[in-house]
Amino acid sequence: MNDLLFDVGYGHFLVLAAVLFLIGVAGVLIRRNALIILMSVELMLNAANMTLLTFSRMWGDQGALSAHTFALIVIGVAAAEASVGLAIVVAVFRGRRNVDVDKLTTLRH
Amino acid sequence: MQDPQTWSFLGLPALLWIPLLPLLGSAINLLIGKWLGKPTAGLIAVFAVGAACVLSGLMVFKGLFYQPSPEAPVLWQAGGITQTAWSWLEVGGFKAEMAFRLDSLSAVMIMIITFVGTWIHIYSMGYMAHDKGYHRYFGYLNLFTGSMLILVLAANLPVMFIGWEGVGLCSFLLIGFWYENDAYAYAGRKAFVVNRIGDFMFLLGMFLLYWAVKSLDFNDIKNASNITVLHDSVWGPHNSHVWADERLAAAAGICLFGGACGKSAQLPLFVWLPDAMAGPTPVSALIHAATMVTAGVYMVCRLSFLYSISTTAMIVISTVGLLTALVAAFIAFAQTDLKKVLAYSTVSQLGFMFVAAGTGNYTAAIFHLGTHAFFKACLFLGAGSVMHGMEHGGSTTPGDITTMGGLRKHMPITRATFLISCLAISGIFPFAGFFSKDEILGGAWAVAGHGTPPGWPSAFGYILWGGLLIAALGTAFYMWRLYFLVFSGNERSEAAKHAHESPASMTSALAILALFATVIGFIGVPHLEMLHGIPSAFHALSNWLAPAVQHAWIIDATHTVPIGGEGSDTMTITLMVIALGIGAFGILAAWALYGRGPSARVAKWVEGPLAGPYEASKNKLWFDEFYDATIVKPFKMLARGLFEIADRFIIDTVAVNGAAFVVSLFSRLSRWVQNGQVQRYLSGLVVGAAAVFLVTDCHRHPAFSITRHGEQLALHAEPGAGIVAPNVKLHWHLDGTTDCSMEKDKPSDPPDLTVRRGDVAGRVALCIDDAIGRKMTVVTAEVPTEETP
Amino acid sequence: MKFLAWLIAAALILCVAGIATPSLVHAQPVPTAERPAGQGGDAPHAIVTKTHPHDDIVESSGKGMAVLFWIFAAASIAGALFVVTRRNLIAAVMGMVGSFVGIAAVYMMLYAQFLAVIQMLVYAGAIMVLFVFVIMILNRPEDEPVAPTGRLGQVIGGAAILYLVARLAMILINVALPNKAVALASPAPIMLPGWGTVAAEPVGWGTVKAVGNDLFGPGLFPFEAISILLLVAVVGAIAIARPLHPDDGTDADPGIHP
Repeated sequence: MNDLLFDVGYGHFLVLAAVLFLIGVAGVLIRRNALIILMSVELMLNAANMTLLTFSRMWGDQGALSAHTFALIVIGVAAAEASVGLAIVVAVFRGRRNVDVDKLTTLRH
Repeated sequence: MQDPQTWSFLGLPALLWIPLLPLLGSAINLLIGKWLGKPTAGLIAVFAVGAACVLSGLMVFKGLFYQPSPEAPVLWQAGGITQTAWSWLEVGGFKAEMAFRLDSLSAVMIMIITFVGTWIHIYSMGYMAHDKGYHRYFGYLNLFTGSMLILVLAANLPVMFIGWEGVGLCSFLLIGFWYENDAYAYAGRKAFVVNRIGDFMFLLGMFLLYWAVKSLDFNDIKNASNITVLHDSVWGPHNSHVWADERLAAAAGICLFGGACGKSAQLPLFVWLPDAMAGPTPVSALIHAATMVTAGVYMVCRLSFLYSISTTAMIVISTVGLLTALVAAFIAFAQTDLKKVLAYSTVSQLGFMFVAAGTGNYTAAIFHLGTHAFFKACLFLGAGSVMHGMEHGGSTTPGDITTMGGLRKHMPITRATFLISCLAISGIFPFAGFFSKDEILGGAWAVAGHGTPPGWPSAFGYILWGGLLIAALGTAFYMWRLYFLVFSGNERSEAAKHAHESPASMTSALAILALFATVIGFIGVPHLEMLHGIPSAFHALSNWLAPAVQHAWIIDATHTVPIGGEGSDTMTITLMVIALGIGAFGILAAWALYGRGPSARVAKWVEGPLAGPYEASKNKLWFDEFYDATIVKPFKMLARGLFEIADRFIIDTVAVNGAAFVVSLFSRLSRWVQNGQVQRYLSGLVVGAAAVFLVTDCHRHPAFSITRHGEQLALHAEPGAGIVAPNVKLHWHLDGTTDCSMEKDKPSDPPDLTVRRGDVAGRVALCIDDAIGRKMTVVTAEVPTEETP
Repeated sequence: MKFLAWLIAAALILCVAGIATPSLVHAQPVPTAERPAGQGGDAPHAIVTKTHPHDDIVESSGKGMAVLFWIFAAASIAGALFVVTRRNLIAAVMGMVGSFVGIAAVYMMLYAQFLAVIQMLVYAGAIMVLFVFVIMILNRPEDEPVAPTGRLGQVIGGAAILYLVARLAMILINVALPNKAVALASPAPIMLPGWGTVAAEPVGWGTVKAVGNDLFGPGLFPFEAISILLLVAVVGAIAIARPLHPDDGTDADPGIHP
C-alpha cells in the first residue's frame, strides 16, 4: 500500500490518464448537451496526450518525432476540431433552438 | 381359341376391363353427368354394368372352359385365369401387383354382382327418376360396382383391400346420398366409421400374413399353407420364434374376420346396417343385400385354405355368425319400419353364411350368398316399390308398416314377387332358400358327428344346428309378419288406399329377380344316394366350386379331415324335413297372429308378459346406446380435450403465437440498437471494449508442460492468455517444494527451461506471480517417466 | 464550498480505488499441470527493457513529490467530474479549466514544460474561451444531466465504464521500469544534432529548444499539415456557422448575428 501511495511511478500517470479518459467517455455517453459532449471529447484528447508524454518519458527517447511534438499536434487538432464542432452546434441550434443530442435522431433510417 | 390368359383389349388385360367398365361409367357420370341429362346418365350407367355383365359371362363361359390341350384339365378346374395389369407396389422386399384372378369362386361372384347389379341399375332409373342428384347417384353406383368387382377379382390381398375400401367409400356416399338431411348424413358417417374399424382389423390380418409368409398373394399364402411345406418353411421349426402354424393362422384369420365383421355387419359391428336404410332403396338392395355385405363371406371363402388350418378361427366365426343370426332375428320382431326389418333380416342371413363358412362348408356359404342375393334384392326392391306407391298415395312416412295394409289389391306384381321372396327366405321347397339353408344346417349337423376336427367341441355342431334352426324359425315368423302387415288385411291409412303399382322399369326387375329366386336353388341339390342318377347340373354349384375352396381340415402335415363327412341319406332327408317344418311353422304362426292385420292378441301380450322382450327388441337391444356411452362419448371427450390442449394451447398459443412473440421480442431488442442516437452507438463501442477486456481476462489458464528427451527435461510455462502475460513472474521449483512466498522480489525465471533429469526431484512446481491480480498461483506436475517421441 | 466537497470526494474515490484494486481481480480457474499449454500464440515474450541512460542514479523522488502528484491528480479528476456532472454550462467550463490546470501541472512533473505551458495557453486560454463564447450565444440551460429514459442502456454503459476503469488501473499501475524511483527524477538532456555550421549541443529534456528543433526538423511535415488543418477548420467553422442569407428563402434566426 505504501508503495502505491508514495512511490509514484509511471503507472500512476498512466492510471490517471486512463481515469480521465474514461470520465470523458462517460461524459460523452451520458450527457445530452452537445457542448458538454464536446468538452468531454477534449478531455479524452488530453488523457491521450498524457499517456503519450508518460510513455515518452518512460522510454526516454526523443528520436525522430518526439512525443512532445506529437502532443503539440494533438493539441492543434483538438483546437481545430473544437472550433468546427462548435460551429456545427451553433448551426444546429439555429435550426432547432436546442442542442439536445437525443433529439438528433435522423440517422435512424 | 386363344389362351384366355392372354386376352387383352387396348393393352389392358381382359379381366381388368370387367371392373373398369363400371368405373369408366362412373367417371363419365360424375364428371359430365349433369350435362348429359336424365335418362342418358342412367343409361350410360346401365350399359356400363351391362357390358361388364356380358364380359363376365364371356370370360366365365368361354374363358374358364378353355382347354390348353386335350389332356390338360379345363381352366376352371386348374386354377382359373390370372392376369396382371401392372406392378403396383415394390418397396424393399414387398411386391404387390395389380393382379386379377378369375377362378370358379370369383366367377360365381362376378356373375351375381353384374347380373343383379344390372337389374338394380335398371330399377333405379325408374326409382330415382325425379331426384335431382340423378347423375351423382349413378356415378356412385357404378363406382361401387367397379370396386366390388375389383374386390372379387383380386389375386392378392392389397388389391382386394382396394376394392374393400372402395365399397366402403361408396357405401358411405350412397347411404348419405340425400346429405341435406342431417340424420342421413350421420348414418353414412356411422357406416364409414364402423367399416373403418373392420378395415383396421383387416390390415392387422394382412400384416400378420405378410410377416409370416413374406407375400400377400393368395397363391403364395396357399402354398405356405400347404402342410407338407409348412414344417420345413416359414411356419415350421426352423423359425422357432414364429408361433406354431395353427396359432398364426388363427390370429391372422380372426383379424381378417374382424374386417369381415365390419363389412358384413356381424356382431359387434352390425350397428351401421339398419341405419344404412337411410339411403335410396336400390342402394340397400344392391349394397346391403346382395354385394357389399357379402364381401366378408367371399373373403373367408377365398382364404379357405387359411381358415381350414385353424379350428380356433372357425369356432370364432361360427359363434359370431350364430349369435348374430339370433340377435338380429330377435330385434327384427318388433320393428315397424319396412326396410329396417329387411336390414335385420340381412344381418341374420349373413350370420347364417358365416356359420356355414365357420363349419368349413364354404360351398354352402357361397350358395346361400347367391340365393340370398336374389331374394333379398327382390325383397328390397319390392319394399322400394311399396314405398314408392305409398309416397304417391300421399304418405309422409312411406316405410311405416303400421300405416300400410291391404296393398295386395293395389300392387299385385309387387305382392307376388314379395310373396315368392318370402317363401324363399323361409326355406320352403322348391324356392332357392330351401336348398341353401338346408346345406348350411346339414353342414352344421355334420360337424357334430364324425366329421369333427380335433379341437372342435364335439357337441358344438349340434348347438350350431339348433341355434340356426331357431333363427330360421324367427326368420320365417318376422318375414311373414311383415308380409301380412303390408299386403293383407285392410288399408290402415289414406295413403295405402291411394297407392298404385310401380312403373314397368321397376316391376320388370322385380320379376326377373323373383324368377331367379325360384329356380336358382336347383343348382345346389344335396348329394343324396337316391338322387344318384340325376344330371350333374343339379350339383353344379358344388362341382363348380370344388377347385376353388378347401375341402378338408388341415390338421398337420399328414393328417386331414374331410369337411362335413358324408352323412347317410336318411339323416339328410330328416334334417331337410325338420327345416321345412320349422319354416312352415313360422309361417303359420305369423298367419295366425297377423293374417288379417295387426293382432289384438299380440298387443295384449306386448303390454303384459312380453313387455320386456318387446322393449328390448324394439330398442335394438340398446346396442347403439351402449356404444354411444362407452365408446363414442369418451372419444368425443378425448377429442375435445386434445383440441383444447394440444391444438388451442400448444399449437396455437405456444407455437404459433409464441413464435410470433419471440420474433417480435427479438425485433424489439434489435431495434434498440439502432435509434439514430450516436451516443447509443458509442455506448456499444465502450461495452464492446469492456467485453474484449473481460473475455481475455476470463480465459487464463496458467499451466506448464514437461517433456522428456532422453536425459533432458524441457519445461515450458504457459502463464495463460490475457493481457497481463508479459507481466507475470515465473519461478520454477525443481526440488518439489511449493512454497512461493519468498519469490516476490526475485527476478523472474524464463518460461522455457531445460534441465537434466538427475537434477530434478519427483515433482516440479511453477510459481506464477500475477502482479496485476496480485495473486500467486502454484502449478505442479509429475516428472514423466516415458520419453516423448 | 461545493467545489471543495467534490475535490475531497475525488480524492477519496481514488484512495478507495487504489485499495480495492487487488480485490477487483477475477477468480482465476484452478490451473492443473495436465492442462494443455495456454490459449495458443501467447508465448510470453521477453520484456523489452530499454536501459535508462542513468539507470544507476537513484534520486530520491521524495514523498513530497508524491503528495504533489496526488493533489494535482485530484484536481484534474475533480475538474473532469465537474464537466460531466454539472448542469450549468459555465460551471462545467470552469471545471474543465481547473482540470486543465491540474493536467498542466502533471505535465510539468513529467518534465514536459513546454507542453504544460502550451496546454494552459491553447487549451485553457483559447479553446475554453471559445466554448464560453458559444455558451453565451446559445444561452440555454439544460434540463437535466442524465436522460430520464434508457436506464438499461445507462446501467450497462456505466458498468462497462467502471469495469474498464478498474481493469485498466490494475494493468497500468504496474507499467514501470524496475526502479520506480526513477520516475520523477530529472531526465537526461538531449543531444541536438548539429547541421551546417551549428554545433551539436545538449538541451534540456522537454524544453522549447528541443521541441522546436524537432518540430522544424523531422516533424516539419506534421507542422505544415497542422497549419493547413487549422486553416481548413477556420474556413469550415465560418462556413457552417454563417447565418443563412435572408434571400435564400429559408428560415433564418434573426436574433443571431455573426
